[in-house]
Amino acid sequence: MVAKNMLRRALDRMYAIGGALGALSLIAILVIIVMQMVARWIGTTFPGATNYAGYCMAAASFFSFAYALNNGAHIRVTLFLTKMGKYRVIGELWCFGIASVLSVWFAFYAIKAIRISYKFNDISQGQDALPLWIPQIVMGIGTVMLAIAFIDNFFRIILHGTHGIKAELLEDGGEA
Amino acid sequence: MEEFQLTAIFLFVLFVLLGSGVWVGLALLGVAFVGMELFTTRPAGDAMITTIWSTSSSWTLTALPLFIWMGEILYRTRLSEDMFRGLAPWMAKLPGGLLHSNIVGCTLFAAVSGSSAATLTTVGKMSIPELRKRGYPENMVIGTLAGAATLGLMIPPSLTLIVYGVSINESITKLFMAGIIPGLVLASMFMLYIAAWSFIKKDEVPPPEPKMTFVEKIKESRFLIPVILLVMLVIGSMYFGLATATEAAAFGVVGALALAAGQGSLSLDTFIKSLMGATRTSAMIAFILAGAAFLSLSMGFTGLPRTLAAWIDSLQLTPTVLILALMVFYIVLGCFLDGISSVVLTMAIVEPMIRQAGIDVIWFGIFIVVVVEMAQITPPIGFNLFVLQGLTNHEMNYIAKAAIPMFLIMVVMVFVLIAFPGLATWLPENIRQVRH
Repeated sequence: MVAKNMLRRALDRMYAIGGALGALSLIAILVIIVMQMVARWIGTTFPGATNYAGYCMAAASFFSFAYALNNGAHIRVTLFLTKMGKYRVIGELWCFGIASVLSVWFAFYAIKAIRISYKFNDISQGQDALPLWIPQIVMGIGTVMLAIAFIDNFFRIILHGTHGIKAELLEDGGEA
Repeated sequence: MEEFQLTAIFLFVLFVLLGSGVWVGLALLGVAFVGMELFTTRPAGDAMITTIWSTSSSWTLTALPLFIWMGEILYRTRLSEDMFRGLAPWMAKLPGGLLHSNIVGCTLFAAVSGSSAATLTTVGKMSIPELRKRGYPENMVIGTLAGAATLGLMIPPSLTLIVYGVSINESITKLFMAGIIPGLVLASMFMLYIAAWSFIKKDEVPPPEPKMTFVEKIKESRFLIPVILLVMLVIGSMYFGLATATEAAAFGVVGALALAAGQGSLSLDTFIKSLMGATRTSAMIAFILAGAAFLSLSMGFTGLPRTLAAWIDSLQLTPTVLILALMVFYIVLGCFLDGISSVVLTMAIVEPMIRQAGIDVIWFGIFIVVVVEMAQITPPIGFNLFVLQGLTNHEMNYIAKAAIPMFLIMVVMVFVLIAFPGLATWLPENIRQVRH
């Protein structure tokens, strides 16, 4: 039981850290773009700024996929699931099952892509001339976290009968 | 014939995955995988990652989280409280009275936020109680709000237009500029409707507001003026070619933070809430776009877009008939999918079709936004209806009925757009390009 609680806490902490890293990447996008504009105004350039902003964009997305899932941000068509009534749990098992398979497949190829970029020493085509495997690491970490989140919720349904995703709202209603 | 069967399987998988409730991004990924396996011998997984990586790390996409963040910051400030107080004195004299503050309020908030749900909540939170207090009929209060909130998707910044621009590789700045005039025209049409209502049903109009002097009016709206300046800064910097869409978004975030700080409503807590809200929404859209990027690659191999485009071409439809057919298609699709998903899901197929028919893609972006907006106020899946249900505790059917006149006005808007395409194309053709 203790081990189970520890696992639960470790997983939740991992999703939260992912979300925090995503948020930091979002701030980084803002900083890079402001720096680029300032550089232009004072008559110099910030080489590779657009590439770095793009990598931060990928980081902001991939890091927070799992976090967004657990907060009910990812959208889906719930019309049929709602119609299932008390049998909804079967539908949810199907959804999380399929999602687990697809996300593991996604993560597998994300990691493979990093290995290939590293092995063949792929360099970015942009002015940043960065080895591509470095920014691609965020894709690897993010997709693995997402796969874990789906599997985690799949087993939560089996063990507890319900998934751990908070209310599914399009937008968090703030104080409303 | 074998081709036909494969296509049928492909579409079947699409319906099953989306319909059974698999998350939109993953459903698209799964369908794309099936498509790759059926139609080509290319390794699906490697092709997927290459496509998804280049979409997810693209520079154009960076405008998306920044514009979301800007809206999130302003959403959490006192803006919504100030909005009604600031607008009401100016609207009081118009025929139809304070109902106009719903329309103008939504138009204004639409110019700082790219989402119609956020626009609806911000304006509705304040205007619904105030309008009820003054005795405006409930169906008008709710109907005008439901309709006007859809402007959030049309007036820049618009998340739907960013997604559309990224999907078809068109300039986001141009799309934003294209949305301005049609957005204002649509807002005016809503206001005309309110005015017409006030003449026809004189007995339903509540007594006029007490008179205010000009100085008093200015004083009441002093909090709104900074917001209007921020809007002008963001849109103006794009129009005059001083900034790209992403840079304008960065201006917007910095400006919104400054505005919130000036108002005294920027605490560490609201900062983090706005940032995390933006992170979640942006991740949600990025996930759909990732799936859609792979799907559009896979679609290319299925030959479906080419076949359909050729078929449409062979029908010798006039562009207007094609547009009307697409309008019906998108309204039906919008009954089951949200706006962004409908756009990304269909662009791989619709893009070759409209290019073949010689329809301007910038114009089409505005068209698709109007049509997708209509779907926001039609049951069973209209997000604006859900949000309004939360705000007012009315039955879904009641709200949907109250919104019918707005829906019809939007249909008229589509015809206006078809009759006067220049509404959407004139401004983007006249902007200055950014010089680096």
